[in-house]
Amino acid sequence: MKKIGLTTTVPVEVLFAAGYQPVDLNNLFIVSKDYMKYIDIAERDGFPKSLCAWIKGIYGACVENGIKEIVGVMEGDCSNTKALIEVLALRGIKVYPFSFPHNHRQEDVEKEVRKFMEIFQVDLEEVEKIRQRLNRIRQLAKKIDTLTYIDYQATGFENHLYQVSCSDFNGNPDHFEVELKSVIKEIKGRNPIKKKIRLGYIGVPPMTADLYTFVQEHHAQFVYNEVQREFAFPRVDEADTIFKQYYDYTYPYDVGYRIKELKKQIERRKLDGIIHYTQAFCYRAVEDIVLKKALDIPILNIEGDKLNILDARTKLRIEAFLDMLKDLKGGIGCVY
Amino acid sequence: MRILGIDLGSREVKIAVMEDKKLIKKMRVSTMSFYRDYCNYDGKVIVDLKKLGITNIHGAISTGYGRNNTDLNKFKAINEIKAHVYGAFYQTKLKDFILLDIGGQDVKVVKVEKGMITDLELNEKCAASCGRYLENMANVLEISLDQMSKYYEKPVSLNSTCAVFSESELIGKIAEGVDVESLCAGVNYSLYKRLQPLLNKFRGRKLILTGGVANNRAIRKYLKNDYDEIISIKETQFNGAIGCCFYGSMMGKLKLEENKCIF
Ligand code: SF4
Repeated sequence: MKKIGLTTTVPVEVLFAAGYQPVDLNNLFIVSKDYMKYIDIAERDGFPKSLCAWIKGIYGACVENGIKEIVGVMEGDCSNTKALIEVLALRGIKVYPFSFPHNHRQEDVEKEVRKFMEIFQVDLEEVEKIRQRLNRIRQLAKKIDTLTYIDYQATGFENHLYQVSCSDFNGNPDHFEVELKSVIKEIKGRNPIKKKIRLGYIGVPPMTADLYTFVQEHHAQFVYNEVQREFAFPRVDEADTIFKQYYDYTYPYDVGYRIKELKKQIERRKLDGIIHYTQAFCYRAVEDIVLKKALDIPILNIEGDKLNILDARTKLRIEAFLDMLKDLKGGIGCVY
Repeated sequence: MRILGIDLGSREVKIAVMEDKKLIKKMRVSTMSFYRDYCNYDGKVIVDLKKLGITNIHGAISTGYGRNNTDLNKFKAINEIKAHVYGAFYQTKLKDFILLDIGGQDVKVVKVEKGMITDLELNEKCAASCGRYLENMANVLEISLDQMSKYYEKPVSLNSTCAVFSESELIGKIAEGVDVESLCAGVNYSLYKRLQPLLNKFRGRKLILTGGVANNRAIRKYLKNDYDEIISIKETQFNGAIGCCFYGSMMGKLKLEENKCIF
């Protein structure tokens, strides 16, 4: 099977139907021991210091792993991706376009997915068949989510990991399904661990995954992973077509739509606070202003850059934030 | 319900007592005298409340400089940042602000949004950006701190980033015959300039200034340019102790049995 690189979640159903093995370059980058080297490669090839590390990492991972074809997301992802794709094209990598139309109209989403199918010469019937298959796996990912926020048996990190892996099903849905089933079985056998503070994680997936264990050491746990969960399409059972599925998705569209879903989940999961992760040099840091205004819940914005572990200052900030959340829960706060 | 709050500073210990969330007593004791005259030591520091003239306390909270010596016997220790933020809550009733605390030996900046600490920075390593610097320079100028803090116009430029070198720089300026107003303003301005890189990360609208240096008029004047509003609080030096009391009052409400004295 030919590998095809992804810079973000795209309709993988189409790619599987076309006989490709999708590889999420983000995952390839972040789980690698060489992650710093990948950033380095990009900087040596001229990517500026002042650019988001994800973009550089993806670039390095793509080049170093000999990925020859990628899907380029032209709309709905950040503009840095557009520039990244141009450089990759320059290096002889074949780029297939895909867009999440910013206007978020259903017919436009459908048009884009159809275009995508045309490029890969697959028909709707094949795609839907794959979609049904993948949806069964998505349900398993959803199970991990409920094991996190209802049963407290899965950790926030596990939740993060398995949701995020649904962007490419680790390149092999069959294997991934087997893995998920065995993980679920193992998790179900555990004693639930419930911490004092219920946290939500919002924003792009973190460079610094140790965040999950760090909060656990401070009486808190993540019971919601926003974007990771979106990657796994939690509302897929309500979508009767692939078009609906990619329409009913929050991450690449406007922030207002995202906020609606956030509010629902804050309620449902009874969150005490939110950690909003943004990447240094990412425009999404600006969205923090909107989110803090729109959401009536304590929010801490933390920023990651190149390092894949939390720095001392960020740790101190998280500690102080969690400390106060704990007070607040105990009825102590700024209520005068 | 009476709550005692003690803020163990590097120079002075600040003590406050709150009864039903009202401040009823405050006092300052030099750090030296606090430990020597009012405390015993038995594995942990035991405060002699009788000597301090404090009775009928239901709960006691301590905070202060450094991490290890703030945990007094029978006191609940909370970290300084928290104590100051709670003090600011009590004194301003605001929920969104930047708190700048310039103490004798350290500087803290805290960002509070929706009643939560969301960012902070501590600077404990630099003698040139805290109260001690002003004291030393006032000594060199043979002027009182209070007097020195009045001057902000035409500051003579003092460029050294180090407290020790600043002193000789200042002496150089004295020798050049620069007038005392400009010298004073120069000292104030140089402290402000050293705070600036720290404050750059903490843009916001409202600034609350606490700690001993909060009364420095020149520094307030300079800071006015950077924020929409400098919020005045009454007890700048007692803010930490007050925060302890306030925090304790809230805790006490939950945990302490009414009328049962723990001392
Ligand atoms: S973190 Fe921000 S800048 Fe980086 S790739 Fe994602 S959206 Fe773009």
